[in-house]
Amino acid sequence: MNRQAQPGWAIYALLVLLAAFFLTPFVVVVLTSLRPNQEMAQHSLIGWPHAITLQNYSMAWGQFCIAERCTGVAPYIMNSLLMTVPATIISTLLGAVAGFSVALWRFRGDTVVFGLVLVGVFLPEQMRLIPWVIVLRDIGLSNTIAGLVVVHVVQGLSFTTLFCRNYYTAIPQDLIKAARIDGAGFYRIFWRIILPLSPPILIVCTIWQFTGIWNEFLYGVTFLTGLDQPITAAIIAISATVTTTPQYGVQSAAVLLAAVPTLAVYLFGGKYFMRGLTAGAVR
Amino acid sequence: MVDLSRRAVLAGSAAVAIPGVARAQAGKPRLTMITQWSAGSDGAAITALGKLFEQNGGIWQHSPVPGFTTDMMNKLRAEIMAGDPPAASQLKGPEIAAWSKIAPTVDLDGVVAAAGYEAFVAPELAALHKPYGHWIALPLQLYRINTLFASKKAMDKVGATKLPGTWAEFNDLAGKMKAAGIIPLANGGIRWDDGMKWEIALNGISPAAYRKAVMELDTDALMGPEVLAAFEQTRKLADWMNPSIAAQSWSVQVAPFIRGEMGMVLMGGWAQGNIINGGFTFADFLSGPAPQDNGRASYIMNADAFIFWQQKAADLQAGQQLFAKLIMQLPTQEMYSHITGSIPVRTDADLSGTGWSDAQRSSAQGLKDAVKEKQVVLSLAHNMAQPNPITAAMIDVLTEFVHNKDLQPKEAQQRLADAIDSAR
Amino acid sequence: MPRDDFAERVREAPRRRRFWDAILPALAIWPPLILSAGHVVVFTLWTAWLSFTPSTLLPEAGYVGWHNYTNVMGTRNFHVAYVNLVIFGVCFVVATSALGLLLAILLDQRVRGENVFRTIFLYPMAISFVVTGTIWSWLLNPGIGIQRLVQGWGWTGFRFDWLVDRDMAIYTLVIAGAWQAAGFAMALFLAGLRSVDGEIIKAAQIDGAGAWRIYRRVVLPTMGPIVLAVMVILLQMAIKTFDLVRALTGGGPGIATNMPATVVYDFMFQRGQIGRGAAAAMLMLLALVVVIVPYQLYQRWRGRSA
Repeated sequence: MNRQAQPGWAIYALLVLLAAFFLTPFVVVVLTSLRPNQEMAQHSLIGWPHAITLQNYSMAWGQFCIAERCTGVAPYIMNSLLMTVPATIISTLLGAVAGFSVALWRFRGDTVVFGLVLVGVFLPEQMRLIPWVIVLRDIGLSNTIAGLVVVHVVQGLSFTTLFCRNYYTAIPQDLIKAARIDGAGFYRIFWRIILPLSPPILIVCTIWQFTGIWNEFLYGVTFLTGLDQPITAAIIAISATVTTTPQYGVQSAAVLLAAVPTLAVYLFGGKYFMRGLTAGAVR
Repeated sequence: MVDLSRRAVLAGSAAVAIPGVARAQAGKPRLTMITQWSAGSDGAAITALGKLFEQNGGIWQHSPVPGFTTDMMNKLRAEIMAGDPPAASQLKGPEIAAWSKIAPTVDLDGVVAAAGYEAFVAPELAALHKPYGHWIALPLQLYRINTLFASKKAMDKVGATKLPGTWAEFNDLAGKMKAAGIIPLANGGIRWDDGMKWEIALNGISPAAYRKAVMELDTDALMGPEVLAAFEQTRKLADWMNPSIAAQSWSVQVAPFIRGEMGMVLMGGWAQGNIINGGFTFADFLSGPAPQDNGRASYIMNADAFIFWQQKAADLQAGQQLFAKLIMQLPTQEMYSHITGSIPVRTDADLSGTGWSDAQRSSAQGLKDAVKEKQVVLSLAHNMAQPNPITAAMIDVLTEFVHNKDLQPKEAQQRLADAIDSAR
Repeated sequence: MPRDDFAERVREAPRRRRFWDAILPALAIWPPLILSAGHVVVFTLWTAWLSFTPSTLLPEAGYVGWHNYTNVMGTRNFHVAYVNLVIFGVCFVVATSALGLLLAILLDQRVRGENVFRTIFLYPMAISFVVTGTIWSWLLNPGIGIQRLVQGWGWTGFRFDWLVDRDMAIYTLVIAGAWQAAGFAMALFLAGLRSVDGEIIKAAQIDGAGAWRIYRRVVLPTMGPIVLAVMVILLQMAIKTFDLVRALTGGGPGIATNMPATVVYDFMFQRGQIGRGAAAAMLMLLALVVVIVPYQLYQRWRGRSA
């Protein structure tokens, strides 16, 4: 592996080809969002626009009607933010604490508990739907964004605990032992030693959780109503037409608007995501 | 002095009147409702219905659930489990009976009797909405499923002038179209669409066999010759479909259909709405009943309905009464059908005026005739004939049959019967 | 000296303070772990209970033995779904891993514009499976997508109609899935590649080994654990695939692209037979256990022998 020499043109050619494969869908969506709807009915979906319009965006943002409510997707994006940001922050922090306690603090039965938490990563969401309905009803949070935050925190804990625990196993046990002997308690060790070492994995958790919760559909539709619904529900509402012809232009615009936050997260956090993974998210 | 006393009287009377006004505001009828109708003509129609409700003094709180019917039923189930069902929700067919068992519904007998409504509803339809003897749901619009549309340009190209009346004539015409380079049947690839083709085929062969096989699940009928013939006809239909359509609504083919690249469509009455909304006119296509071998009018019925869930709050109860009264009235049903392209439930509806299309008139006339001939049946693919588990099991077989050219009609018939047994 | 002093002070600290020292960590540790582990246990047990009841629209008590299981396993949907799971699982994991590894190796070459390329390969992960499925359903549709485009360029014999072909539709899922997940695999592999000890590489280069040999003998063997981890994560993604199928093929043509998760959804919600849906879910869990348990055992074994 010539880490010193310049990579040949073959490498670049391959990379460009692959980049084209990855970019094509995105380009198609962008182009489609700029074409008026009638044009799609007459020409194929993929193709250079004959006319460019920004009307799809204005329709998608502020005017699109879901039955009586012609608000566009703007309020739904707000709802998604209200749900995703708290859930991401809480699940990441709790995951760090839980990961630390399982990896370093150790206590009786910690392997069993961690194993169970791990299983949570693999549970399918369909089978958890009805139990969650019952739980949310019993704690009085049905049909609220707060309820959905609880759902995503509890489910996200499995992932964040897994990531953090794998990361923290790299920290030498002796460091912790020494601190304990010095009289430092749980919180002090966490605050002073663990947290400063954590930014890479915290970023990995944040990015993973944000993307996962933002893009989640099933729970968002079932647990929230009307104007409280997240953006994924609104996208489905725009696409699920049975008795009318699909409006590809507005759909594309709406999809792009909905993807802006997660794309931004990957754009700015991509580097740190890599660094966090390099630091050993997987062992 | 007089002014003062008058002012005092006015003030006094205002003080008496205001609590009354406040009480009336608090008791304003309110309706919470969930449906799947968020877009298109359905969305427009339910919105118009809401405006009508508000004009009549109610507060309208409709929450469309994005997605398809399953998502709406999911939400309904979640709300019922949470102990807070909406005042009304969209529900149709035998599901009304099934769901009425899991949560208390409102007895609408009083409202229905007061409006004399039952006299104006087809008996098969009424039976679905009073499953245990009491009205608990009200139908809103009707569609005929077994409708045939033909592209004027395509018909001209093969020199045909009238729609085929029997399956033999249909197969003939389709053959001519294929020879002329036209795709004979424009079709979507969605499950219920495939199932719908089969039921139109079976009903066209024999409505009596349809009734016994599909609605009554009679094993002899299911293994009988008519069902086999229906599979064979469906195989022919599948061969005439557009090979490159993939799990999409048929409506993506409206433009080629009108241009004459595709010949015919077998679809419910709403297809008219697809075509007109695509920017085309009534002159561009012909429509009429789908082929019917025994020559007598038949009608595969699809109806949407609302079910009413028991509420404790007084304003919701008032809202339910108001809504029920409203949707039983002829003007409401006419307004709704104008928007969606369906026909009103009420048999006393007169569609001869302007604003109604020929397709709708044909559908209404077809219903009247079919009632006389006792050939009204309920649609399988649109969840009218059987509850969801059985429907889904049957559609599984039917949709696989349409897409799997290796599956033989005889084998498919056996599989259909097996699927029904396992789903029971 | 100061340490002993301190330790002595801790030991002699009032009992109340020692009590808090013990309790406080527990308060921090236990709630999130109990919530998480607890919800896993409770939900799984509840679903297992549900699978033995005659529940249809709502959970109801009762006992039907294995009836739900035999019923579900007897449907064609189930057979198609699990055959598809094997085909899709293998193809998706292999294709995504291979693509991810290729991307990682390419990016590891210190190319100019690495950041740009990396972003391009990573961004599909930001998109939901529903959107991915929808976009690819447009692209792969022979009537409006790639086939039509290429035919429009003049190559009229071009065929790319896998989406409507019963036997090939499952591979369209592989394409869309690999497109979405390859970036994630690439990220993990690149992390692994970059963590290989530079000294060993230099030593091998000094010894005159060529680039390919160095990769084969030095780098790739140390990637073993990462490759395994990536495959496990991808496999569980494959088993849980739902949104992608729903958006890309709708389970079609016909029922040709059904997967275990769509079968669960179908029974539970579409048909309103949640007892049978729960049975289908338990069977899906079984499939996951078959994958996970050996991996966990392997981890334990590796940990012990390390």
